[in-house]
Amino acid sequence: MEDFEFLRNITIGQYLPGDSIFYKLDPRAKLLAFFFIVAAVTFTSSYLGNVILLATVLVLAAISTIPLGYMLRGIKPALPMIIVLAIMQLLFLGDFYVPPTGIRTLFKWGFIHITTGSVQLVIVSTLRFFDLLILVSLLTFTTTTTELTHGLESLMSPLARFGFPAHELSLVLTTALRFVPILALELETIMKAQASRGANFGTGGRLRFIQQARQVLPILIPLFIDALRRAEDLILAMEARCYVGGKGRTHLIQFRSSLRDYLTVVFSIVYAIFMLTYKFPF
Amino acid sequence: MSNSQPIVKVENLWHIYLRDTPLEVVALRGVDMEVYKGEAVGIIGHTGAGKSTLVQHLNGLLRPHKGKVIIDGVDLSQEGVDIRAIRQKVGLVSQYPERQLFKDYVADDIAFGPQQFGLPPEEVRERVKWAMEMVGLDFERFKDRYTFSLSGGEMRRAAIAGVLALRPKILILDESTSGLDPRGRSDLLRRIKELHEKEGLTIIFVSPNMEDMAELVDRIYILADGQVVMSGTPREIFSQPEELYRLGLGIPQVTEVMHALRARGKNVRVDVLTVVEAEAEVCKLLNC
Repeated sequence: MEDFEFLRNITIGQYLPGDSIFYKLDPRAKLLAFFFIVAAVTFTSSYLGNVILLATVLVLAAISTIPLGYMLRGIKPALPMIIVLAIMQLLFLGDFYVPPTGIRTLFKWGFIHITTGSVQLVIVSTLRFFDLLILVSLLTFTTTTTELTHGLESLMSPLARFGFPAHELSLVLTTALRFVPILALELETIMKAQASRGANFGTGGRLRFIQQARQVLPILIPLFIDALRRAEDLILAMEARCYVGGKGRTHLIQFRSSLRDYLTVVFSIVYAIFMLTYKFPF
Repeated sequence: MSNSQPIVKVENLWHIYLRDTPLEVVALRGVDMEVYKGEAVGIIGHTGAGKSTLVQHLNGLLRPHKGKVIIDGVDLSQEGVDIRAIRQKVGLVSQYPERQLFKDYVADDIAFGPQQFGLPPEEVRERVKWAMEMVGLDFERFKDRYTFSLSGGEMRRAAIAGVLALRPKILILDESTSGLDPRGRSDLLRRIKELHEKEGLTIIFVSPNMEDMAELVDRIYILADGQVVMSGTPREIFSQPEELYRLGLGIPQVTEVMHALRARGKNVRVDVLTVVEAEAEVCKLLNC
């Protein structure tokens, strides 16, 4: 039997009400710290460095009091892709990745070339994936989309002087994020309605693409109609409230940074600089 | 009727949304319900009482997390149940069903269901014709109309015809009359009543509208916070207005008038459900 409860397994982007320190931080500070730690995760390639990063991320997760299992549930749908990616990296990228300790061939057959480099690449990139997933979860679980986009707008506002559309970008982002759960629910409703009249999803064999594409039509068409209708409603609602763009607009909630927020940013910068410049022995 | 097997039997049904996550919500906590063949049963409840969750179990859109759902002798909580056969037997019309329309032409859209079950073209055509007539869309006039050019009420009827074309034994209407104008609603209600009386269809009717309930159903279940808190005939249910008010629900307006008259010491029946009955009572009072 099909399971129609999509929101249960899509955890990324979901806000979870709570009251650990993560909820009390200024979203701008959170965003900056997120940016620096993600930079550290992305550019650290040694084993030791990645172990330290993983430990850091796990400690942060523990502080947040959000169950780790719930964060990792978001990985499930992406798992097949991660595995395929890891296998391809292992088999084909042996020559391209040079670890700090030099590259050694472990296995060679035709165009397949496994080296210490490709092994490290696979391990490091899998770890990276987990780190990033937990970091993104920490940010989105503890920050509402409104806080996130206002934080982004506020951080980008200095650029507005040079004609950068900070407000418009933040509006587009808010709208897009806000509509994800709405459209997911709508998708669920439509799938249920079509299943009620006998529609079959996901059958007909993996390789029968045309048949599979045809099965999607009864869902896709109503979903598009709904999305367009909602967009029109939104335009109408904005016009009715005399929306003219960002100029001269104020916000309901004004962000105020405290010492705690500054310390968070400073710590994350120092941490990132350390991780990126220190030469790890292995 | 009561000595035969119920066609729908729900036993101690539990359902939890977002189960095993920090956001889980218990939607049903031990619901028991029985519907007999040829009956029209109403489900009333406040928003979030679990009405939609309950009816979505009846055609296998949701699995029971605990308890049993037995449709015509088949236990849906068992593995390996032919769920499409159940969906053919139990037609579910959702709220705003017109959102399910996707084909260019009305008849094509209504034919989608029967075609999914691989019926021969003549049979499909016959069913589409029957279903359209049942909801009051003239087959010749509407079959080649462009689906998205229909009015709201017509789209609603076309969508209901799309479910009826499966020839279900049980028809579930989950607030399917909401959002229609008064005439469209009473017309649809009349058609459902006709289906129930002439075709012997078993009806499960979910609606917040007490007048519609009083008009259509034989028995009512009242849900509150995922549990059945009251059940009985409309007359039994609506003769206890205090209970219903406490649950944030109401009673039909004419029944309310009778209760008010009784409260002022007038000797009238309070189990009145329709305007015609109320008229008779008031006439008796005024000696007209």
